[in-house]
Amino acid sequence: MLTITPTQFAKASADIYQGFLAWRLGLLLAWQDLKQRYRRSTLGPVWLTVSMSIQIFVMGVLSAYLFNSPIQRHLPFVCAGMVFWTFITQSIHEGSLLFISASSYLIQLRRPFTMYLLQNVFRNIITLGHNIITYVVVAIILVVPPGPSLILWPLGFALDILCVSWMALFAAMLSVRYRDIPMTIQSVFSILFWLTPLMYQPDQLGSKAFLVDFNPFTHMLALLRDPLLGGAPTLTNWLVVVAIAVFGWIATFLFFSRFRARIVYWI
Amino acid sequence: MIGLTGRDIYVEFPIYNAYMRSMRHRLGFGKIAEGLNRLKTRKLAVGGDIEVGHSGKTVIKALNGISFDFREGDRVALLGHNGSGKTTLLRTLAGIYEPISGEFISHGHAVPLFDLQLGMDPDGTGMENIWLRGKMLDLTDEQIDQSIEDIASFTELGDYLFMPIRTYSQGMMLRLAFGISTAVTPDILILDEMIGAGDAAFIDRANLRLKNFIEQAGIMVIASHNPAMLRQWCNKGILLEHGKIIASGRLEETLSAYEKRPAA
Repeated sequence: MLTITPTQFAKASADIYQGFLAWRLGLLLAWQDLKQRYRRSTLGPVWLTVSMSIQIFVMGVLSAYLFNSPIQRHLPFVCAGMVFWTFITQSIHEGSLLFISASSYLIQLRRPFTMYLLQNVFRNIITLGHNIITYVVVAIILVVPPGPSLILWPLGFALDILCVSWMALFAAMLSVRYRDIPMTIQSVFSILFWLTPLMYQPDQLGSKAFLVDFNPFTHMLALLRDPLLGGAPTLTNWLVVVAIAVFGWIATFLFFSRFRARIVYWI
Repeated sequence: MIGLTGRDIYVEFPIYNAYMRSMRHRLGFGKIAEGLNRLKTRKLAVGGDIEVGHSGKTVIKALNGISFDFREGDRVALLGHNGSGKTTLLRTLAGIYEPISGEFISHGHAVPLFDLQLGMDPDGTGMENIWLRGKMLDLTDEQIDQSIEDIASFTELGDYLFMPIRTYSQGMMLRLAFGISTAVTPDILILDEMIGAGDAAFIDRANLRLKNFIEQAGIMVIASHNPAMLRQWCNKGILLEHGKIIASGRLEETLSAYEKRPAA
């Protein structure tokens, strides 16, 4: 089943290359998605920031009381965590719907599939750009300076984008064929939410702290969150995320090479 | 050198959902084999042949060993009854479906024009939509920039170009979509039914524009049921039935073969 011919490799590579050449169309469509979502509403995209802020504030304050943590330390932690968790999970969940929602385009135009993936990545980065404002405000009010490891933040961000992109592409291909995948992903994430240190610090788990280390999203989150909170991601964090990015992309590329031409047939 | 060449092209669609499940449901497990056998041999009046493979997977054979060779100057009419494979062949020519087997070679920039309004945003202004739609058509920024004046004067939309297009009447919307879609001619033009911009008062200008647009294309392939229109635009014909080419050659010959076929 997984025999891949050189032609399939070449065509998959060409798709990725041409997708990147068409990055501006991806960006245009990403903006278009967001514009359409908020057109004719007064607050527009600010809604993203507002609803996220309210949710974070309630969750942050509540869990601070619940876990007996000082608000000054806990609220920024929850805030940064939620902003990046939303970015990661939304990129993957929306990614799984990528080809299903673009189906009318896919059967009427010839465009590299990678272009739609870029559209998804861009849209989620723009959304993150809105949401991050919440954290900046919290950090300024509560005086939380970022740590020196902030220099490496862009690298961590790039690695995380690589991870969520392959997950999105993989999920997108599976989802056109098996339409239960998007729902499955959503419920998996609602379970993982509790297995990821978002509302609690890992050390609050005491001797069971190792549990969250098995969750890849813990490490992906650490690269984005920890530098902002004044700490630094551990070497383990870095290595795990690099491994996810590299091996994930190798597997996804093989899968994409084999099934790229089938995507349109599955619509 | 512009050209479209196909050798022995097969396109099959796997059907994964309801059909087989409901078959099983209706027949009960014992009768499946019998039911499938009947299906295997059944000849249908419309659509591609439905086949059940060894694995029990249902496939629709949409294109069944199609070969063709289109050269610069060819204006090809695709004829055939509903479900004979016209649209599938158009999409294959546009590079959307990659054949399961066979060889397909395309030289030149092929642009399918199926839904003229694809990608347009009702809440965007006319101008914004010129850009959006232009990008959908794979036009470069320069091409769009240079076409804006031409589109504006053709559509006569004036200040409406700065209004959201949801405020347009259907005729205005069509003018805009048609105006943008016919602004730049691709090497290879692929159409499912002739495009146009209705509106009686407008029709002469639209036809003139269409004529210029199509004449500049290296190759045009169009699927249609309208012989009069095909006679006006085409010089070659291909007649499809059950995903096979049953006649091809000069338009008149293919048309008469088409008209002799019993209606499905």
